[in-house]
Formats: sequence, C-alpha cells, structure tokens
Amino acid sequence: MDVIIKIDRVTKRFGGLVALNKVSFNIYKGEILGVIGPNGAGKTTLFNCITGVYSPDDGRIYFNGVDITGMPPHKITQLGIVKTHQIVKPFNEFTVLENAMIGALFGKRAGKISKEEAREIALKNLKLVGLAEKKDELAIGLTLHEKKFLELARVLSAEPDVILLDEALAGLNPKEVEESLDIIKMINKDLGKTIVMVEHVMHAVMNIAERIVVLHFGQLLAEGTPKEVAEMPEVITAYLGDKDLALKFVRR
Amino acid sequence: MTLMTELLINVTNGLLWGTVLGAVSVGLTLIWGVMKVVNLAHGESILLGSYIVSVLLLFMGVDPMVGMFVALGSGLLLGLTIYWLNLHKIIGHVDVINLRIEMSTLLEMFAVSIILYNLYSFFTRSEPFGIGIWHLGPTSYINIGYMSVQVNHITAAALSLGATFIIYQFIAKTPTGKAIRAVMQDSQAAALVGIDPVKIKMLTTVISIGFTAFSGFLVILYESAVVPSIAYKYAPLAFTIVVLGGLGSIMGSYIAGIIIGGIYGVSKVIFSLLVGKNASDPLALTTAFVILVLTLLFKPEGLFGRKR
Amino acid sequence: MVNVKEYLERPTFVLIILVLVAIALAKLLRLETTDYLITIMFFIGIAMSLNLIMGFAGYVSFGHTVFLGISGYIFALIVYYNVWLAEMLDTLFGIPIFLVAIVAGGVSALVAFLVGVPVLKLRGAFFAIATIGLDFAALYIVKAFIPIINPEFFGAQIILPAYALAYKNNVFVAMYITFALVLITNYVVRRSRFGMGLLAISEDEDAAEALGVPTRKYKLLAFALSAFFTGMLGAIFGLNAGGVDENLFNLAHTIDMIVMIVIGGIGTVMGPLVGSIIYFILYDTLLVTYPEFNLVILGSIVAVLVLFAPRGIIGIIRGKTIRGKRLRDIIE
Repeated sequence: MDVIIKIDRVTKRFGGLVALNKVSFNIYKGEILGVIGPNGAGKTTLFNCITGVYSPDDGRIYFNGVDITGMPPHKITQLGIVKTHQIVKPFNEFTVLENAMIGALFGKRAGKISKEEAREIALKNLKLVGLAEKKDELAIGLTLHEKKFLELARVLSAEPDVILLDEALAGLNPKEVEESLDIIKMINKDLGKTIVMVEHVMHAVMNIAERIVVLHFGQLLAEGTPKEVAEMPEVITAYLGDKDLALKFVRR
Repeated sequence: MTLMTELLINVTNGLLWGTVLGAVSVGLTLIWGVMKVVNLAHGESILLGSYIVSVLLLFMGVDPMVGMFVALGSGLLLGLTIYWLNLHKIIGHVDVINLRIEMSTLLEMFAVSIILYNLYSFFTRSEPFGIGIWHLGPTSYINIGYMSVQVNHITAAALSLGATFIIYQFIAKTPTGKAIRAVMQDSQAAALVGIDPVKIKMLTTVISIGFTAFSGFLVILYESAVVPSIAYKYAPLAFTIVVLGGLGSIMGSYIAGIIIGGIYGVSKVIFSLLVGKNASDPLALTTAFVILVLTLLFKPEGLFGRKR
Repeated sequence: MVNVKEYLERPTFVLIILVLVAIALAKLLRLETTDYLITIMFFIGIAMSLNLIMGFAGYVSFGHTVFLGISGYIFALIVYYNVWLAEMLDTLFGIPIFLVAIVAGGVSALVAFLVGVPVLKLRGAFFAIATIGLDFAALYIVKAFIPIINPEFFGAQIILPAYALAYKNNVFVAMYITFALVLITNYVVRRSRFGMGLLAISEDEDAAEALGVPTRKYKLLAFALSAFFTGMLGAIFGLNAGGVDENLFNLAHTIDMIVMIVIGGIGTVMGPLVGSIIYFILYDTLLVTYPEFNLVILGSIVAVLVLFAPRGIIGIIRGKTIRGKRLRDIIE
C-alpha cells in the first residue's frame, strides 16, 4: 500500500502542556483509518496539525512525499487534504448550493474552474449526501444532521484525496449514524478517497475502519486492525477508567 | 526653566489627567468585559454628565458638587434606556456572544452615538458650555513646590480615585458585583448557578453608563469648553486605556489611564524638544494610539487582563 | 457577443447604469449644480469603497477616513508644489489631476497594505478599534508635521494656489470616472470568485480558510482596493474644495459611509447603493435647516434596522419571492 500521509515525530505544545509528543504513523492511500483515544488525547490537535491550523513545534508531516509542515490551511486544502469540523461551520447566509460551491471554487482545482463547473460539482455532491432538494435554502435553516452532511458535501466539492472527519457522527441519532456510515463507506469505496476519522461513537468506528490508531495523553499508544487494537493489554489498561468501553473492546 | 523641571511639571500634570482618563475608562471596561458590548456611544455618555453639570450650574446655579450626583443619576437612566431599547433584543437571552452578535451591538451603539451626538449639537446649537471659573475653595491655583497646580485638577484626581475605589469595592464585595464577575467569566455557568443573566446585563449597562456620565463631570474640570467633539477626544483614549488595562479589569483600566497620562506628559516634553512646542501636543496623543495598536497586536489581553 | 438581454435582467447592473446616466444627464442638462453632483458622487463613492471590505469581508473599518486624509494631503502637496514649481519656472506642469489622484490613492493602498498585514489579524471589534487608533494617529501626525513643512500650511490647512484651480474644470470628469470605477469594481468583485471568498470570510473566517480560501491575501487585497478608491475620492474632493484640512480625518465621514451601508444592507452591491440613495433623499427632503436633527433620524433608522433587519432594506427584499422567482438570485 502506498503511504499518502506520513506523520513523523510530530510534537505540539500549548504552554506547558504537551498535546502531541513525537507522534509518528502512516496513513495509507484508500484506507479508512480511525483515530481514537480519551478526551484530551490530542486527536483534534493532530488533525489541526495535519490541516495547517496549528504549526507543529517539532517533527514533519509529508503528503505524497511533499513536506507540508507549517503550510497555511488553504494551501493544504488545495493540495488535497480537507477536514470537517467537530462543531459544524456552515456559511449561514449562503444557500446550501453556494456553500458547496465555495468548496469547489477554492479546492484542488482552485482558479482553474468556472462558476458553472463549480455549480455542477457542488450539485453532484449535494445529491450524494441527499441535500440536492434543499439546494436553494439558506444553510442556517438546516437541522444539525443536515448541516453535517452539508459540511461533507462542501469538503467533497474541494475534490480532495484525503478527508479528515472530526467527530462527524457526534450528536446524531442511531438512524442518522447508519446513514452517515453508508455515505462514508461509499465515498471511500466508490470515490476512492482516503478517510481518517476521529470518533467517539466507538461501535461505528470499529465497524467501519480498516485500521485504528490509539492516542493517549499525546502519545501513540497502539496501531493496528480494530481486532488487534481491541486485544492489546495497554489499550485496555488505558481505557480501564471507562469500563464499558473496555468491555466493548474485549468482546470483539 | 530647566529640562528637569519641565519634565516634572509635565509628568505631574499628565499623571493627574491620567486619573481622569482612568475613571473615564472604568465604565467602558465593565460593559465591554462583561457583555462584549463595544460602547461606541461612550464619548456621548461622558458628554451627558458634562452637560448636566454645566447646565445645572449655568441656569439654576446648582453647585457642581451636587450636580455630579444628578449627572450620575441621569447616566443610570440613560443606561436603563439603552439596555431595554437597544441591547436587550440582541444580547438579552444569548449565552455565548459570538463575533456576529458583537458586531451587531457595536453597530447598535454606533447608532446610539449618532443620535446622542446630534441631539447635543441640536439642543446646544454647538455653543460651548462649561463651568466657567467655578472651583472648590478660595483659590483656583495652589503651589506645590515650584509648580502651581489648578485646584480643579486636584479635585478631579481626588474624586476619580474615590469613585473608582467605590465601584471597585462594589464589584468585588457586593452580591450583585460578584454576580457581574461571574457572568463576565462564564455566562452559561453563571446561569446554571441561578444568576439571572438578563438582570446582570441590565445592571452592568446601567452601572457602566451611570459611572461614565459621572466621569463626564471630571472631564469638565479639565475642559473649559464642553462641545460635542470632546467625545472624539476622550472616547478613543478610553478605548486605548481599556485595551491596555485588559478588558473587564477596573483596576487595570484605572492604572492604564494613569500610565497613558504619564506617557502623554513625558512624550510631550520629548516631542517639544524634537519638533517644537506646537507639534508636541498632537504627537503626544499619537503615542497613545500607537500604544493601542501595538497592544492589540502583541498583548491583546492587556496588562492586567486574563488571556482570551 | 455580449448578451444585452441577460445584463438587463440583473437589477443591480441596471441600477448602476441608471445612477451613472442620471448623474451625467443632471450635469448636461444642468438640473443640479456641479458641486452638488460632485458631493453626491463623493459620498456614495466612499460608501461603496468601504463596502468592499466592510460589506463583503465583514471587517468594519471605523477609521476608514484615514485614507481620505492621507490621499487628500498627498494630493494637495503634489499639486501645491507642482504649481509652485510651474510658477517658478514660468511653465505649465500639466500633470493631469487624474494621474495625481491615482498616485494619491496608490499611497493609501500602500499604507493599507502595510498596516493591514498586522491589523487584519484582529477580528471584529478589535479591528474596528485599531482602525480608529490609526485614524487618530495619522491625524495627529499630520497636525504636527504639515505646519512644519511650510509655514503657509498654518493649522495643517493646505489651500491650493489659485493657479491650481485652473484644473478645477476637470474635477467633475475625474470624479465621474472614479465613481464609475468604484461602482463597476463593486459589481465585478461581487460576482467573482474573489467576492465569494470575501463573503465566506465574513460568514466564518476559519471555515473559509479551511475550505481553501486564501483569507489573508483576500483581506489584504480588499482592504487595499477599498483604501485606493477612498483615497482617490478624497483627493479629488479636496481639489474641488480648493484645499484640504484636518477635517478629512474626521470620523463623521465614517458615520456617513457606515450609515449608508447598514441602511441598504451588507453583503450586496445593491444594498449600499440603495442605502446611499435613501440617505441623500432623506438628507435633502427631511431637514435642510437642521442637519443635526437629520442625523438623529438617520441614527434612529440605523438603530431600528440593526435590531429588526440586520441585513438592511435589501436584506428584507432579498428574502421575498415574486412570481416564483427568488429575489435572492437576482439581487447581487
């Protein structure tokens, strides 16, 4: 398998707090990778380092062999890595279609794409997530669940290679979670996008991810298939504080 | 006059003026710190007090030492009106004040400032008002060492210190004050422990504008002629001081006011040596705004504020 | 081949053309004095210039008058010494005023760019306050140094020599061209990718950056463009007045600009344009005798709009549908 993103000893500190401590791992092309860990483990910080929101204090990040450490976020987006936000951030006064069009206009083909093309790409992705009928409504009027899908359509319109999903399932009911998982699988299988997801909905991530990375207090605790990871003693120890979760791990 | 004497006189005068600047900024730091309301009508709130005191003295012969309480009272009323008319609909029931809401209240207070400013111009026909030769005690000047200081300036400094001490104690010690501080730190959490945020926001507005109107009296102890454009002199300085002192910090603002006053005094001497006397005053004021921009860029939480 | 019909179906475009034609006709048929027309173009022009950064990107530049001042003074100094030199050498240095105005506007754009690099990192109220600080800093510097340059500039006032007023005939034309440029720039920007990026910034800057919008570059560009046009208008306005003084820095001009934008509605071209037309109608019809009272009424309108229709008059209209056609789609 080809490495698409290589994370090499990345360290990020906030004042005295070490949010990430020499974290290294690879993300492979075409896979679904789950990143798990308790609150404060550094998952969101890791995403923010990859997408350029934070610049790591130490270590490098490579994308397709290109060093992207410290690049501004919009450059990284245009290279082909996008992120959905944990707290959705639609452009409220834009219509659903305009929201998605921004993704296309400033995405991987930024500057090389006409407004008409952008509109078509946006429509295509809105159809994919099932929001095509609401394309002319203002984003502010959507439900949380629809806003999450809009966010997905928006980043898809940027035509990325890698999509980072930051708790895309949080706050959704079980039915909506299932719907979302189907779409994520489809994006991965049919569109060939690499997907990295930070997730708290544990059964979902164990179910969908091909590989799992476990972060704990800013350090890489474990890496492997869901089954392997669930059976690792250090993972179970780390999660012992959360008994249900540990049990769920072991049962698998 | 030697350079040292000149420096001493200018710094003393600057520091004395600084106490007034400090008091002028206290109301602003409260409303900005607690509710993120950038009160662009701050200058006009100052003017209210200045006008009330002068009008009472000129037309009814009311002593300014009494008039200042009327100024305070009218400021409280103005605050009440502004809260219910202009602010409540935007922030009354909002827990987290985001950028959009912040800009809404800013524009709303901007509208209030247009209204008040032009009402003053309309009713005074832009004629200057003031307290003329009024001063406390028998003489208008007293000699301290080899410099003479206006009695009015000393009165202003003493009153500003006293008033700021009182409001500081109020915020620090009384239940209402503690509730205000709680809302400043976390309005959601404050609501959870049973503090009514609407009541606190209203009280903050009332206290802020009331105190500001009171400080308008201190301003006329310096400005011989009250015209609406005084708002443009004091309000920007107040913004500078609040940013420098740290949003929401009463003591921070007061100290920052004195610092700005002192810097004004020192830079006045320096600039008069460099470019001559006429240019020194405007350039000394420029220093304040350079400090403002630098603080915003490099230490946005101010000298005494909490990190945002 | 330009499809004329398509353009005629764009109300904003039609309105821009109407405004330009109306002013040209008023001038040719002498319906209004030239001074009045120049004043109208100046005020609508500066509002539309500010619209580029405030209306589109959401950055309320309260001290925007700083650019009127900077360019006004640069322009006055160039013209003053140009005329002085010309008189000295007894020749005519016929530098077209339009060119001088472009240079003066360019200086403002440059200042905006340099200042913008740090200041545009500030958000919301802090940006607004910082620009007020800049305006005052520049004002006091001008007050201090202009009289030092030449004793004739007493009270920081530069009165252009009578000789310069020979140029005054061209003022209308220069103002007209600049005004048209401002309107057209607004229209083009609003329809462009750049414009969409700016609107995205005003909605949520972090989200815009994450979606690939080069936020820093766009903000700087919009700020500099806005400063450029504001500066050009200030320069030409100064020439029309026969000189410049510190009043150019007066925040009262900012009040005019912001009132026009808020009344009409932010985020569009139509909004500020309609807002400024309403502003002038109110100004002329309501109370010519008491300008203060006029502003009290305007201030009240702004206060009510911010509370009940934060997107202004055009914002209300844009939400409507007429004969199945959503106005939002055609009002730009």
